[in-house]
Formats: sequence, structure tokens, C-alpha cells
Amino acid sequence: MASRLVSLAVTLGVTLFGAGPAGAALRVVASLPDVADMARQIGGDRVDVTTIAEGGQDPHKVPVKPSFVTKLNRADALVVQGLGLEHAYLPALLEVARNAHILPGAPGYIDSSLYVTPLEVPESQSRAQGELHPLGNPHFNMDPTQGKLMARAIAEGLERVDPDGAAVYRAGLARYETLLDAKIAEWEKLAAPLRGLKAVSYHPDLVYLAHHYGIQLVGTIETKPGVPATPGHLEELIEEMKRQKATLVIREVAYELPLAQEVAERAGARVVTVSSLTGGLPGTSTYVEFVEANLRALVAAATAGGAS
Amino acid sequence: MGPDRSVSRAAAALVALTALMSAGLAEGETPETQISALKAELAATKGELSRTQSALEALERKVDALAAAPAAPAAAEPPPKLETARILPVNADNPGISFVIDAQGASNTQGSDGAGFLLGTGELFVSAPIDPFLRGYASINGRTDQSFDIEEAALVTTALPGNLTVKGGRFFADFGRFAHWHDEALPFVNRPQSIDQFIGGESQAEGVETSWLAPIDQFLQVTVGVYNSLGADRFDDPSAFGSMKGQRSFSELTYLVHPTTYFDLTDTMNVELGGSLVAIPTGAARELYGVDVTFRHQPGTSSFYQGTVVGVEWLWNNEQFNDVVLGTDPITGADVTGSGRFHRNAGYAYFESFFNRRFSAGARFDYAEQLFGAKDLTRTYSAFLTWQPSEFQRLRFQWDDVGIDGPDDQRFTLQWTAFIGSHSHGFAAR
Repeated sequence: MASRLVSLAVTLGVTLFGAGPAGAALRVVASLPDVADMARQIGGDRVDVTTIAEGGQDPHKVPVKPSFVTKLNRADALVVQGLGLEHAYLPALLEVARNAHILPGAPGYIDSSLYVTPLEVPESQSRAQGELHPLGNPHFNMDPTQGKLMARAIAEGLERVDPDGAAVYRAGLARYETLLDAKIAEWEKLAAPLRGLKAVSYHPDLVYLAHHYGIQLVGTIETKPGVPATPGHLEELIEEMKRQKATLVIREVAYELPLAQEVAERAGARVVTVSSLTGGLPGTSTYVEFVEANLRALVAAATAGGAS
Repeated sequence: MGPDRSVSRAAAALVALTALMSAGLAEGETPETQISALKAELAATKGELSRTQSALEALERKVDALAAAPAAPAAAEPPPKLETARILPVNADNPGISFVIDAQGASNTQGSDGAGFLLGTGELFVSAPIDPFLRGYASINGRTDQSFDIEEAALVTTALPGNLTVKGGRFFADFGRFAHWHDEALPFVNRPQSIDQFIGGESQAEGVETSWLAPIDQFLQVTVGVYNSLGADRFDDPSAFGSMKGQRSFSELTYLVHPTTYFDLTDTMNVELGGSLVAIPTGAARELYGVDVTFRHQPGTSSFYQGTVVGVEWLWNNEQFNDVVLGTDPITGADVTGSGRFHRNAGYAYFESFFNRRFSAGARFDYAEQLFGAKDLTRTYSAFLTWQPSEFQRLRFQWDDVGIDGPDDQRFTLQWTAFIGSHSHGFAAR
């Protein structure tokens, strides 16, 4: 009887308090699907990656679920996109996750923005300017050249948490960078028709992509970042689109289509739907597929001609 | 065809033309056929030159366009970073500070309140890490019917082993769902009547609380606490044992245990379950039980429909009250006072659906029996509509139909809430 009790106690103890089996994969929680895919591409079988947000969600408004708390509690590493993109949900989850190893600044906190040069860093942080990100616009993932920098930061972070896997992460990064380099060269040709194109987006999350491919953004449907459109702002935006002959309204999949359609119709432009995250559009389960789908959608809309 | 290739083909044609002109007539050729061949070759060469010219012009236009367009950001390999993350700087001398303004205009059809305006909440909230092991926060609140009061002033550990967190000071004890929410975080204009009567408004308490997160994949959190008493507005209740005043034995303190768990039903639907027990072992020998269930549908991927929350909370109170009004004398009409144990129930159910990012609407039903004395019942039906012009501002209209005795009281409230500074109640107010 005593031995059965001891056995039961050991089983319970291992279940509740025990670490995973020896040699188990590194438990990585990724805040967003883009960095999740990169961690998988780089770490391969050495990492077990779970994701908090989904591709079709607005990254500013991800629900705070208790099931995320347990994932974070047991994580060896947390990979974030960074620049404050996860501010709406990650601080609240980390507050109760009781895992000091993955708090900001700790070794297990892997920030993919480390090598990115931020654009739109606000000079003033007044909320009169909308819901600003003090460290700069955090939507750099839409530009694949920034994606390459993200991959490097993630690989270095994984190596920091798991030095024994350094060779795996370095080889994984090299493979992934080779893939990205080839795709980036291919995308330069694909996206050539976008250069000089004038467009508006719903939210200011196309800044890096537009900067790289030469799209001229003339405004956003949102009045200010994160602040919904007002009738007065829409009137001004439509006039500006007509004046500048903007031909595209770029609507991110998490935002309202009818309003984008209305703006496009009144301005004589076309609507094109893109995603700001991997997985937001069908068939985009990887970062490479996500970038390519966005570029193909933009090019198709840019070269279609006429309003729709 | 590339321009280099066009140029080389044109050069080859010119060489051929020169060779033909310098050579004599081949055998069988007449001057006419030779002139005809030369003319054809010349036409072909002109065509090649024209295409080459066009290609060169196209290249020039492309170069001009590239020069005019903004330069692509350089993705050159930077040196390795020494820091590990880009995080907002924290100033140790200046904690996160916020102030909540909750202004209300209200009217009702019964009673003496009539119509008027009030400050529902003016709440100063400060929060900051204290050292690597501790953080602190305080909430100082004032409103029309009450001078400024320290609602919460608490210390919370951040680095205890074993998935433990300890909180001490004055704070909202972790009872049920909405009892520990600040007014401005509620999805309604006002706290449900059932919580007001059974808890005493917010679950304010002075004491110490420990919460443990089970280190398993299933979310399971258990909070235990011991306090002087429970309830912000319960200090003047008729039970001496609920009072903050005076010394007491350990058995007269208030004890709490609150396990809560959570299940993902699907990717978009989940349910959260909680059970709470508050006990005072002797004196009032109070036992307050609560269960709460919250169902959420959170697709998060639709631009038209953002989700729905359905919540139910039910409370049972079993408590000894002394020197309370038990009823009225049928002959004299005078109050009859005395002591006794009272078993009473209360609870609410509500739903709220979120539309179009900024709009939400919902309804609530509340049932609250009087805690002691006659089993008077308050039933409240409510409907509410919320509009958030931005993340930091909210307008809410609520209609309440309150039935106690006599004609129902129709209450209309317009609430205007705004947040100055860094304001978040974190995971607890999810």
C-alpha cells in the first residue's frame, strides 16, 4: 500500500512540477505567427513552437486567454515581433505567467525587432496623435528585407537560450537566409509595377513594405493610428486621393471591407486585401507565402486598371 | 529582348553589309538581285536599330523612376547586438500614473433621486516595480457621494518560486468575477445589485492573499486569502464581526479560497469556471459561496462581429445577524428586531456582443434577496450600449428597470469615461 502511495505521489509530482523529458524540444511561445514560422524554420525539430495570435486577427486586439498563461508559464523562450506591437495583450499575460525567464530583458525574451531600423518613431507621444507606438511603427514584418533581420535576431535569441543547439540554429538561419535572399530577388522583379504607385491603407501598417517597394502612401482610412475614421477625415482623404490620383485602397484583412470599398468607389480607386500577419490570407501558413501573397495581390490590383 | 543583344545583332548586320559591298558579284547573281538583297538587309538593320533605341529609352525611363522613388532601406548586416530586447525605458522615479474620469448623467422615474449629474469615479492609479522581487500599486478614488479614499494600496511579489504570488495590503480580494473589478472596468454603468448587497460593492479587503498557478497545461489557479473583512461598503453593516473596528481572534477573520479554471472549447470559443468560498469561522459564522461561469466567443478575425461574452454568477450567503429588523409588529406596526441566521441568494446573468470594433451592446438580469430580515427581493433588468471612439474614451448608455416593491423604477444613465495616462488593470480585468 505504501509503495503504491509513493508511486502515486511521484506520478503526481512529475505531472505537476516535473520538467519535460530529457532532450525534449525547446518550448517556444511566439506572440505572432510570423515570428512563430521563423522560429520553426530556424530551429526545426529542436523547437516546439506555439503561437498566441492568429494571422487573421488584429495584432493590436488579441484576446487575453488564460490558456496562454499556462503556455507562457512553461515556456523556455518567448519570441515577439517587438516595438510594442504586442502591448495590448502580452504585458497582461506576462504579469500572471510567473516565468521570470521570459520577461522583457531576460535571456528568454527574444525580440525580433533588434536589428530593424524603426520608421515613424514619434517625436511626440501625445495621444492626440492616436494610439502611437513609442518605439516606432512595429509592422516591419511586411517587408521581407526586414524579415531577414528578424530571422537573425530570432536565431541569436534561440542560441542564447539553448547554447547546445547553436550549430542547429546557425545552420537553420543560413538555410532560411538563402531562401529569403532568393525570394527577395524574385520579389523585386515581381513588385516592379508597384514602384511609384499611389495608395491609401486602412491602418499605417504598410509603411515598411511601401518604403521598400516604392509605393507612395497618401493617407489612411483611420483618422489617426488606431482611431476610427470620422466623416470629415474621409472627405479629406477622398479629396486627397483624387488630387494625387491614388489608385488603390489597401485594406488589411482584419479591418472593415465595406468602408474600404466605399472610399475606393468615391475616389475612383480599387480595393485590394492584404494581411499584416502570416496566415491572414488563405494558403499563407509560412512567412514566405505571406509576403508573396501580399505582393501578388498588390501587383494584380495595380496592373488591373480601372476602378472596382 | 535585351538591349545588349540588339546592339550586337545590329553590329553584325552592318559588318555583313560592308562585306557584301566590298565583295564582287557572286556567281549567278545579277546587280538587281544583289540590290534587292542589300535593301532587305538595310531594312532589317534599321528595324534592329529602332528596337535598340526603344530599349535604351525604356532603360533610361526606369533609371529616372528609380532615382525619383524613395530609397529602399538598406538591409546591410549590422554587428551583433549586446542588448536582447527593445523595451520602453522605465523611470524608477516616476511610476506608471493614470487618472480615470467617469462622469455620469442619470434620471429615474421613482424615488427622490430625479435627474442629475455625478462623478462616478475619479481614480488615480499608480503602479511600478519596487525591486526585482516586488511591485506595488495604489488606487485612490473619489466620487460625488464620497471623498477621496484609498481603494487599493498593495504589494505584489514577482519572483517567488513554485508559481506562487503573494499580495498584501488593501486590495480587492479575488472573489468571484466582477467583485474585484474596478467600476470603470465593468461592462456596465453600475455594479450588479447582487454583488453590491452580498459583497458590499467591490471586494475590498485588508489582509494577505496567495495565488498559485498549477504548472500544467490546463489553466488552474487557486487563490487563498485572509482578511479583516470583505467588501468596500460593508464596514458599517450591522454585524459586529464584519466590522473593521476592534481586535479579533483568528477565527473571526475572513478567509477565502477561490479556484478558477478555463477550457478552450474550440479555437474561438472558451469557458471559464470559478468557485469562491468566504468564511468567518466564529461570530457571524458567515459562509458566502459563489460560482461564476463565463463563456466567450472570440473569433477575432471578422470585421463585422468581434465576439460575444456571456456571464453568470450566483451567490449564497449564510450568516448570523444580531439586532436587525426581522419584521413589523402586526398590531403596533413597530419594527421587530432580533438575531438570526439568514440563508439568502443573489446573482446575475448578462451577455454583451461586440460589433464593428467600437460598438457593443448587451443585457443583464440581476436577482438580489435582502441579506437579512424580511426576504425582500430586488429584480433588475438592464440593457446597455457602448461606443468607444478610441481605446481611451467610452460612452455608455444604460437603461435599468428596478423592481423592489411598488411600481418599477426606470433608470436612465449616460456614462462618459476617459483614461489619462498609462491605465491597465491587466489580466484580472480580461
